[in-house]
Amino acid sequence: MGLVAANLQDPIAELVAREKHFQEWTEHPSSSLVHHDAECCERARLWFLAYARSMEIGNISQFEIKAPIWLQQLYSWGPSSWPIAWCELVNKKVLDCGVFAALAREVFKAQGHEVHPAQALLSYNETCTNHWKALWKKGKDDTVFPWIGDRLVYHELCVLELPDGTAKFYDSTWGNWYLSQPRFGFGAVLAVRSECPRLLRWGSRTVACGEWVEL
Amino acid sequence: MAPPKIFISGMHSGQNPCSGVGIARCLRAAFPNLTLVGVDHWQGSSGLHDKSIDETLLLPQWKQINDAQHGDHILSILNDDHLWIAAMDMEVHWLAEHLGAHSNLLAPGAKALELTAKPAVSGLDGLGFRVPDFISASLPDSDIHYFLRQHAWQCWLKSPYHDAKRISSWIGFVKARDAMAKSWRTSKLFLQRHIIGSEETIAFAAYQGELIAAAHMQKRQITPEGKTWAARVTAVEPDFLEGFKEAIRKLNYTGGGEVEFARDPDGHKWLIECNPRFPAWVYGGALAGQNVVAKLIAHVWNMPFLETVNPYPFFTRVVQDIPAKESVGIPLPPDPATMAWASEGKKGKSGPDFSALIPTLASAQEQHSKTPDKSGDVPEHIDPSYFTEISSLTEQYVGPTPARIHLEQWARGRFDRLAKRVKQASLNTSRIQIGFSVKTCPTDDYLRKAKESGFFAECISQMEVQRALSFGFLPSQIILNGPGKFWPLTDKPVTGLHALYCDSPEEFDRVIALPGIAKVIGFRMRVPKVHSRFGNPLDDPRRFSDLIHKMKKLQGRAELGFHFHMPSWAIGLQTWMQALDSLLIWCQIAERLSGRPVKHLDLGGGFFPADLERLDISGIQESVRKALPNVGTLYLEPGRSLTQDGEILVSRILDLRKTPDASLHEIVVDACIAELPLAQAYSHRLFFKQIGSLEANSPPVRLSKGETRILGRICMEDDILSDGVSLPESAQIGDYVIFGDAGGYERSMSYGFGRG
Repeated sequence: MGLVAANLQDPIAELVAREKHFQEWTEHPSSSLVHHDAECCERARLWFLAYARSMEIGNISQFEIKAPIWLQQLYSWGPSSWPIAWCELVNKKVLDCGVFAALAREVFKAQGHEVHPAQALLSYNETCTNHWKALWKKGKDDTVFPWIGDRLVYHELCVLELPDGTAKFYDSTWGNWYLSQPRFGFGAVLAVRSECPRLLRWGSRTVACGEWVEL
Repeated sequence: MAPPKIFISGMHSGQNPCSGVGIARCLRAAFPNLTLVGVDHWQGSSGLHDKSIDETLLLPQWKQINDAQHGDHILSILNDDHLWIAAMDMEVHWLAEHLGAHSNLLAPGAKALELTAKPAVSGLDGLGFRVPDFISASLPDSDIHYFLRQHAWQCWLKSPYHDAKRISSWIGFVKARDAMAKSWRTSKLFLQRHIIGSEETIAFAAYQGELIAAAHMQKRQITPEGKTWAARVTAVEPDFLEGFKEAIRKLNYTGGGEVEFARDPDGHKWLIECNPRFPAWVYGGALAGQNVVAKLIAHVWNMPFLETVNPYPFFTRVVQDIPAKESVGIPLPPDPATMAWASEGKKGKSGPDFSALIPTLASAQEQHSKTPDKSGDVPEHIDPSYFTEISSLTEQYVGPTPARIHLEQWARGRFDRLAKRVKQASLNTSRIQIGFSVKTCPTDDYLRKAKESGFFAECISQMEVQRALSFGFLPSQIILNGPGKFWPLTDKPVTGLHALYCDSPEEFDRVIALPGIAKVIGFRMRVPKVHSRFGNPLDDPRRFSDLIHKMKKLQGRAELGFHFHMPSWAIGLQTWMQALDSLLIWCQIAERLSGRPVKHLDLGGGFFPADLERLDISGIQESVRKALPNVGTLYLEPGRSLTQDGEILVSRILDLRKTPDASLHEIVVDACIAELPLAQAYSHRLFFKQIGSLEANSPPVRLSKGETRILGRICMEDDILSDGVSLPESAQIGDYVIFGDAGGYERSMSYGFGRG
């Protein structure tokens, strides 16, 4: 289900009106990794999971959720060609937010958490988005999703479903937890969408599967 | 009569600022016409130049202050209806001791300070805070070493007043303890476990036991020193506020304060400390709409104030250049040598010096002496039988020193207890096999005990293999490890070994070409995140694939095993267990991808003696069974844990050095780092016996932490055997200082030096 531009409040509606890819973003499904159903991908996937477990060594925290903040040390953020398979990605140095989110979901799942894909629409200035456009152009072909607009960008996250029915949105690309309060300024979060098949509570909001929630 | 003024101390505004400037800015924003007086003891405190300050009161350095005169001065200010806001921890203590309560003094009294003292902060019990485990740094080093191992070497060393230093190694701890004790002139330091959580604070203002205002701050950006740089400030949760009001009432608190805590992702709040003054970020709170300082003054003087409303409840800091005030002046430049090469690489002075104040604060010293020594589980490390054997052997000892004496009964007990545990555990799922680490202590005594106990020999070279063979071990009772297992190359490698664990893929290619080299051939694994120079790194997927290919080559040639060795004494048992869990995953994957069953799992050694005896062997067996059901034998390779405390080193005092006031501050003994090469690497239990009492058969006494350094006999700067013990003032030349824990590597790595 889409975020309907006409229903948005000014000045957000104004921002949205300038974005030619807006509709694509709101309808785009979350990214998922390809598995060749062969040893090449299975070996890569198992290597990644074992590596993830090793990264938890020395974490003296008592709590269960151990966010994979080490992902940003292992990979840099940049363009990825889609579709991307496990056996390809583990040898890459640069991944986009869709791959980061898919990898983070694997880590959380291995820790025993309920985790689902999630997406966000964020606002940046045009100078910034122009640089990203150049970076993505340099990253070659047109197999990449047009996630960068003029003032808005499409971003992928993951959402943890806690046993009490609350949601925790994790930005696996940058290693931040989203807060349910509105976030303004550079990187302001306009809306989030969860693919958890159940209703989740997030602060004072209710997050339904596939519905964009405006902040 | 002149209108009343507000005196505000603590105007230092550097990287680690005091709160004076923040307080002044809060008041200026709320009361534009008030007269604010900035107080400090150092001209270099740049906050004195801030435009919010109308007047300044520069006082002499604390060490030049006459207590009575300073007390009279402040009292006269208070009696003239001016207010005094104390913004520095040490000053608050001084005021509580020298001035007591006054309706115009906005600082907590002695009772409130006592009940909010670190680390227990008993005055805030019942507010839902947990207190992280702590231990006094004055307890015996062996207890502290245990505490650090228990908490994975992730702790903070804190002074009772101010200051905290992260501790991650024994050497780092000893150095930091020494520096902090000197800096704060107190031995009342403590170690506290690190808590992972988001840093939050509650700033509050109270007057005569009534909570006037409180604000909740969550840090968003911090400086390298951990200080707030940007934050969100909101009202305090109503549930918390009710209990907090009651706590403040019981403390009869007056003045500003700050409760620092960490909130872990499960939502638990861990109390870090309660500071008896406003935090330095207090003006940031005012900008976000929470001006707790203004509310306090408005309450005390019953007057309205201008409130700031900010719909975006955040603040951030900025470094700002401001014109200096001629009336305050700027300090003269320091000597160029100080500028270029100051202590710890810092240039210049970072703030006022409070250390001179500490010895005068009898009440603060008294208050901290009431702090419990420890929380959590810190067992006593002197087993009576260990002490009895030391007593008995030193009673009989007559001979040259330094002398290493073997504690036969104690060492025998270590081997027997382990053999018994292994036998019992082997009744469970997998067999447990001990491989005694030959390198750790290859004496006849220990090799004999190992053999009698049914242990294998774990060797790291062909020389050690030959030593084990000559002692009666069969090749099939030898495990060969390490990066140099075929040294010396001139020797033909012994074949028919029980197990051989390759340190690199290249070594594997050579090993697999040696027919019948070992029943078990495997790999030492270098698990990612665990720092080591040994074994096969697993952090690159291509290298991991290569290892899998090599494992497949074992088909029909040898059984597959894995070896892992991380010294738990250096990383803590908790981290060791996490590393083991991670290893099991790697082994599972290797088994699955190579198609070769993992039948042997060698977990290495490196346990501290007390830790091995606490190791949950059956729990480990169960984890291994679940992860790797084909494992038939689990191996442990203890060396240090069986031998370290099985020997003592008896030394005698060669020289006694006293301070001008005749207190014993250093002794020189006839032992040195040649006999104790690891003296500074871990804690040693120390004992003292006077010559007279040796003859009179009285037992030695255990030395607790104190101020007397023990220096070695050789002319090397690092020949320091203890950085401080409590030695009797009656100690004399020729008396005995006995070093416990002098076996294991202390023996095998010792060397001859300075003997002509």
